[in-house]
Amino acid sequence: MITKNGIVLTDVLTSDHIQYIDRFKGNWEQAIATASSPLLQDNSIDQNYIDSMIDVVKKNGPYINIGTNIALAHSRPEAGVNKMGMALLSVNPEVNLCDDKERPIKLWFVLAASDNDSHLDYMAALASLLGDDSAVPMLLQAKSAPELYDILVKMKEGN
Amino acid sequence: MKIMAVCTSGLGSSFMVQMNIQNILSSEGVTDINVDHTGAGGVSPNDADYFFAEKSLADGALKNLGEDKIVKLDSLIDKNELTDKLNVVLDDCGIAHS
Repeated sequence: MITKNGIVLTDVLTSDHIQYIDRFKGNWEQAIATASSPLLQDNSIDQNYIDSMIDVVKKNGPYINIGTNIALAHSRPEAGVNKMGMALLSVNPEVNLCDDKERPIKLWFVLAASDNDSHLDYMAALASLLGDDSAVPMLLQAKSAPELYDILVKMKEGN
Repeated sequence: MKIMAVCTSGLGSSFMVQMNIQNILSSEGVTDINVDHTGAGGVSPNDADYFFAEKSLADGALKNLGEDKIVKLDSLIDKNELTDKLNVVLDDCGIAHS
Protein backbone atom coordinates (compact mmCIF):
# COMPACT_ATOMS: atom_id res chain seq x y z
CA MET A 1 0.00 0.00 0.00
CA ILE A 2 2.03 2.91 -1.27
CA THR A 3 0.53 6.38 -1.32
CA LYS A 4 1.40 9.15 -3.73
CA ASN A 5 4.35 10.21 -1.60
CA GLY A 6 5.88 6.76 -1.49
CA ILE A 7 4.64 6.29 2.06
CA VAL A 8 4.30 2.70 3.18
CA LEU A 9 2.04 1.73 6.06
CA THR A 10 4.50 -0.87 7.33
CA ASP A 11 7.08 1.91 7.88
CA VAL A 12 5.15 2.80 11.03
CA LEU A 13 3.01 -0.29 11.50
CA THR A 14 6.14 -2.39 11.81
CA SER A 15 6.16 -6.15 12.39
CA ASP A 16 7.09 -5.72 16.07
CA HIS A 17 4.01 -3.52 16.54
CA ILE A 18 1.63 -6.25 15.37
CA GLN A 19 0.23 -8.88 17.73
CA TYR A 20 -2.23 -11.75 17.50
CA ILE A 21 -3.59 -13.17 20.75
CA ASP A 22 -5.62 -16.37 20.80
CA ARG A 23 -7.98 -16.89 23.74
CA PHE A 24 -7.64 -13.26 24.72
CA LYS A 25 -9.04 -12.76 28.19
CA GLY A 26 -9.76 -9.16 28.94
CA ASN A 27 -12.17 -6.31 28.40
CA TRP A 28 -11.99 -3.51 25.83
CA GLU A 29 -9.74 -1.37 28.03
CA GLN A 30 -7.25 -4.21 28.31
CA ALA A 31 -7.45 -4.75 24.56
CA ILE A 32 -6.46 -1.11 23.93
CA ALA A 33 -3.68 -1.32 26.54
CA THR A 34 -2.38 -4.60 25.08
CA ALA A 35 -2.52 -3.30 21.51
CA SER A 36 -0.51 -0.25 22.64
CA SER A 37 2.12 -2.17 24.59
CA PRO A 38 4.72 -2.32 21.76
CA LEU A 39 4.49 1.49 21.43
CA LEU A 40 4.98 1.81 25.18
CA GLN A 41 7.94 -0.56 25.10
CA ASP A 42 9.81 1.33 22.40
CA ASN A 43 9.00 4.61 24.11
CA SER A 44 6.84 5.97 21.29
CA ILE A 45 4.16 6.73 23.90
CA ASP A 46 3.83 7.16 27.66
CA GLN A 47 1.36 5.27 29.85
CA ASN A 48 -0.63 8.48 30.02
CA TYR A 49 -1.46 8.20 26.30
CA ILE A 50 -3.03 4.77 26.85
CA ASP A 51 -5.10 6.12 29.75
CA SER A 52 -6.16 9.05 27.58
CA MET A 53 -7.30 6.81 24.68
CA ILE A 54 -9.47 4.86 27.13
CA ASP A 55 -10.78 8.01 28.83
CA VAL A 56 -11.97 9.61 25.58
CA VAL A 57 -14.04 6.51 24.83
CA LYS A 58 -15.50 6.53 28.34
CA LYS A 59 -16.35 10.18 27.89
CA ASN A 60 -17.48 10.27 24.26
CA GLY A 61 -18.67 6.75 23.57
CA PRO A 62 -17.59 3.99 21.18
CA TYR A 63 -16.92 6.27 18.21
CA ILE A 64 -13.55 4.55 17.64
CA ASN A 65 -15.54 1.60 16.20
CA ILE A 66 -14.72 2.69 12.64
CA GLY A 67 -16.05 -0.38 10.85
CA THR A 68 -17.46 -3.84 11.54
CA ASN A 69 -15.09 -5.64 13.96
CA ILE A 70 -12.53 -2.81 13.66
CA ALA A 71 -11.53 -0.10 16.15
CA LEU A 72 -9.02 2.74 15.81
CA ALA A 73 -7.95 3.98 19.24
CA HIS A 74 -6.23 7.35 19.39
CA SER A 75 -5.94 10.55 21.38
CA ARG A 76 -4.15 13.89 21.15
CA PRO A 77 -0.34 14.20 20.71
CA GLU A 78 -0.04 16.15 23.95
CA ALA A 79 -1.58 13.24 25.89
CA GLY A 80 1.79 11.49 25.76
CA VAL A 81 3.17 10.77 22.29
CA ASN A 82 6.96 10.92 21.93
CA LYS A 83 7.21 9.50 18.43
CA MET A 84 4.62 8.85 15.77
CA GLY A 85 3.61 5.21 15.50
CA MET A 86 0.88 2.69 14.85
CA ALA A 87 0.11 -0.70 16.34
CA LEU A 88 -2.34 -3.51 15.66
CA LEU A 89 -3.73 -6.25 17.86
CA SER A 90 -5.99 -9.00 16.58
CA VAL A 91 -7.84 -10.93 19.28
CA ASN A 92 -9.67 -14.21 19.31
CA PRO A 93 -12.46 -14.17 20.32
CA GLU A 94 -13.63 -10.63 19.66
CA VAL A 95 -13.85 -8.20 22.59
CA ASN A 96 -16.93 -6.01 22.94
CA LEU A 97 -16.09 -2.31 22.80
CA CYS A 98 -17.62 -0.56 25.83
CA ASP A 99 -18.98 -4.00 26.81
CA ASP A 100 -21.55 -3.50 24.05
CA LYS A 101 -22.58 -6.83 22.48
CA GLU A 102 -23.34 -5.03 19.24
CA ARG A 103 -19.73 -3.82 18.95
CA PRO A 104 -17.52 -6.93 18.89
CA ILE A 105 -14.00 -5.88 17.86
CA LYS A 106 -11.36 -8.16 16.42
CA LEU A 107 -8.83 -5.69 14.97
CA TRP A 108 -7.63 -3.06 17.44
CA PHE A 109 -5.58 -0.40 15.65
CA VAL A 110 -3.74 2.21 17.71
CA LEU A 111 -2.63 5.54 16.27
CA ALA A 112 -0.07 7.66 18.10
CA ALA A 113 0.27 10.99 16.30
CA SER A 114 3.10 13.25 17.40
CA ASP A 115 1.64 16.40 15.84
CA ASN A 116 -1.31 17.43 13.69
CA ASP A 117 0.19 16.60 10.30
CA SER A 118 3.04 14.10 10.14
CA HIS A 119 0.78 11.02 10.41
CA LEU A 120 -1.65 12.05 7.69
CA ASP A 121 0.04 10.11 4.89
CA TYR A 122 -0.05 7.00 7.05
CA MET A 123 -3.69 7.57 7.89
CA ALA A 124 -4.32 7.84 4.16
CA ALA A 125 -2.59 4.48 3.69
CA LEU A 126 -4.63 2.98 6.52
CA ALA A 127 -7.85 4.36 5.03
CA SER A 128 -7.01 2.78 1.66
CA LEU A 129 -6.29 -0.53 3.37
CA LEU A 130 -9.54 -0.50 5.34
CA GLY A 131 -11.47 0.61 2.29
CA ASP A 132 -10.17 -2.40 0.37
CA ASP A 133 -12.94 -5.00 0.25
CA SER A 134 -10.50 -7.85 -0.29
CA ALA A 135 -7.92 -6.87 2.36
CA VAL A 136 -10.31 -6.44 5.27
CA PRO A 137 -11.72 -10.02 5.27
CA MET A 138 -8.14 -11.32 5.01
CA LEU A 139 -7.06 -9.26 8.02
CA LEU A 140 -10.10 -10.43 9.99
CA GLN A 141 -9.33 -14.07 9.20
CA ALA A 142 -5.57 -13.96 9.82
CA LYS A 143 -4.50 -16.16 12.71
CA SER A 144 -1.01 -14.94 13.53
CA ALA A 145 1.03 -11.74 13.66
CA PRO A 146 3.25 -12.75 10.70
CA GLU A 147 0.11 -13.49 8.67
CA LEU A 148 -1.25 -10.01 9.46
CA TYR A 149 2.06 -8.42 8.52
CA ASP A 150 2.23 -10.38 5.25
CA ILE A 151 -1.19 -9.08 4.25
CA LEU A 152 -0.03 -5.49 4.88
CA VAL A 153 3.13 -6.07 2.86
CA LYS A 154 1.29 -7.76 -0.01
CA MET A 155 -1.19 -4.88 -0.17
CA LYS A 156 1.82 -2.67 -0.66
CA GLU A 157 3.05 -4.78 -3.56
CA GLY A 158 -0.39 -5.04 -5.09
CA ASN A 159 -0.74 -1.28 -5.35
CA MET B 1 -20.13 24.52 0.26
CA LYS B 2 -18.06 23.18 3.10
CA ILE B 3 -18.15 19.71 4.65
CA MET B 4 -16.36 18.93 7.90
CA ALA B 5 -15.53 15.45 9.15
CA VAL B 6 -15.36 15.34 12.94
CA CYS B 7 -13.88 12.97 15.51
CA THR B 8 -12.90 13.54 19.12
CA SER B 9 -9.24 14.31 18.56
CA GLY B 10 -9.51 15.72 15.05
CA LEU B 11 -6.52 13.61 14.05
CA GLY B 12 -7.44 10.09 13.12
CA SER B 13 -10.83 8.93 12.00
CA SER B 14 -12.00 12.40 10.93
CA PHE B 15 -9.15 12.61 8.43
CA MET B 16 -10.01 9.16 7.13
CA VAL B 17 -13.60 10.28 6.51
CA GLN B 18 -12.38 13.51 4.88
CA MET B 19 -10.24 11.49 2.50
CA ASN B 20 -13.05 9.11 1.64
CA ILE B 21 -15.43 12.03 1.02
CA GLN B 22 -12.88 13.69 -1.28
CA ASN B 23 -12.36 10.46 -3.19
CA ILE B 24 -16.10 9.98 -3.68
CA LEU B 25 -16.64 13.60 -4.75
CA SER B 26 -13.84 13.40 -7.28
CA SER B 27 -15.13 10.12 -8.70
CA GLU B 28 -18.58 11.71 -9.00
CA GLY B 29 -17.11 14.69 -10.80
CA VAL B 30 -18.08 17.15 -8.07
CA THR B 31 -15.75 20.10 -7.54
CA ASP B 32 -16.00 23.30 -5.52
CA ILE B 33 -16.72 21.56 -2.24
CA ASN B 34 -14.28 22.26 0.53
CA VAL B 35 -13.72 19.22 2.77
CA ASP B 36 -11.78 19.41 6.02
CA HIS B 37 -11.50 17.60 9.36
CA THR B 38 -11.46 18.77 12.95
CA GLY B 39 -11.85 17.75 16.58
CA ALA B 40 -15.11 17.74 18.50
CA GLY B 41 -13.76 20.14 21.10
CA GLY B 42 -13.82 23.47 19.33
CA VAL B 43 -16.30 22.81 16.53
CA SER B 44 -19.25 25.18 16.10
CA PRO B 45 -22.29 25.12 13.75
CA ASN B 46 -20.81 27.94 11.64
CA ASP B 47 -17.66 26.00 10.77
CA ALA B 48 -19.30 24.12 7.90
CA ASP B 49 -22.54 23.50 6.06
CA TYR B 50 -22.52 19.81 6.90
CA PHE B 51 -20.71 17.73 9.49
CA PHE B 52 -20.01 14.00 9.10
CA ALA B 53 -19.37 11.97 12.26
CA GLU B 54 -19.68 8.50 13.75
CA LYS B 55 -23.21 8.21 15.11
CA SER B 56 -22.46 7.84 18.83
CA LEU B 57 -20.37 11.00 18.66
CA ALA B 58 -23.03 12.77 16.59
CA ASP B 59 -25.69 11.95 19.18
CA GLY B 60 -23.42 12.87 22.07
CA ALA B 61 -20.69 15.49 21.95
CA LEU B 62 -21.86 17.00 18.65
CA LYS B 63 -25.54 17.44 19.46
CA ASN B 64 -25.11 21.24 19.54
CA LEU B 65 -24.37 21.31 15.80
CA GLY B 66 -28.05 20.70 15.07
CA GLU B 67 -29.78 17.63 13.63
CA ASP B 68 -30.13 19.07 10.12
CA LYS B 69 -26.40 19.71 9.73
CA ILE B 70 -25.06 16.40 11.03
CA VAL B 71 -24.74 13.31 8.89
CA LYS B 72 -24.46 10.26 11.17
CA LEU B 73 -22.30 7.37 10.03
CA ASP B 74 -22.62 3.77 11.23
CA SER B 75 -19.24 2.90 9.74
CA LEU B 76 -16.36 5.25 8.97
CA ILE B 77 -14.81 2.96 6.38
CA ASP B 78 -17.87 1.74 4.46
CA LYS B 79 -17.70 3.62 1.17
CA ASN B 80 -21.18 2.54 0.11
CA GLU B 81 -22.78 4.03 3.19
CA LEU B 82 -20.72 7.19 2.83
CA THR B 83 -21.57 7.52 -0.86
CA ASP B 84 -25.30 7.11 -0.21
CA LYS B 85 -25.32 9.69 2.58
CA LEU B 86 -23.12 12.11 0.67
CA ASN B 87 -25.40 11.88 -2.37
CA VAL B 88 -28.40 12.78 -0.20
CA VAL B 89 -26.56 15.96 0.85
CA LEU B 90 -25.65 16.77 -2.76
CA ASP B 91 -29.24 16.20 -3.88
CA ASP B 92 -30.58 18.40 -1.07
CA CYS B 93 -28.26 21.17 -2.19
CA GLY B 94 -29.09 20.69 -5.85
CA ILE B 95 -25.52 19.77 -6.74
CA ALA B 96 -25.22 17.56 -9.81
CA HIS B 97 -23.23 14.34 -9.45
CA SER B 98 -22.79 11.15 -11.39
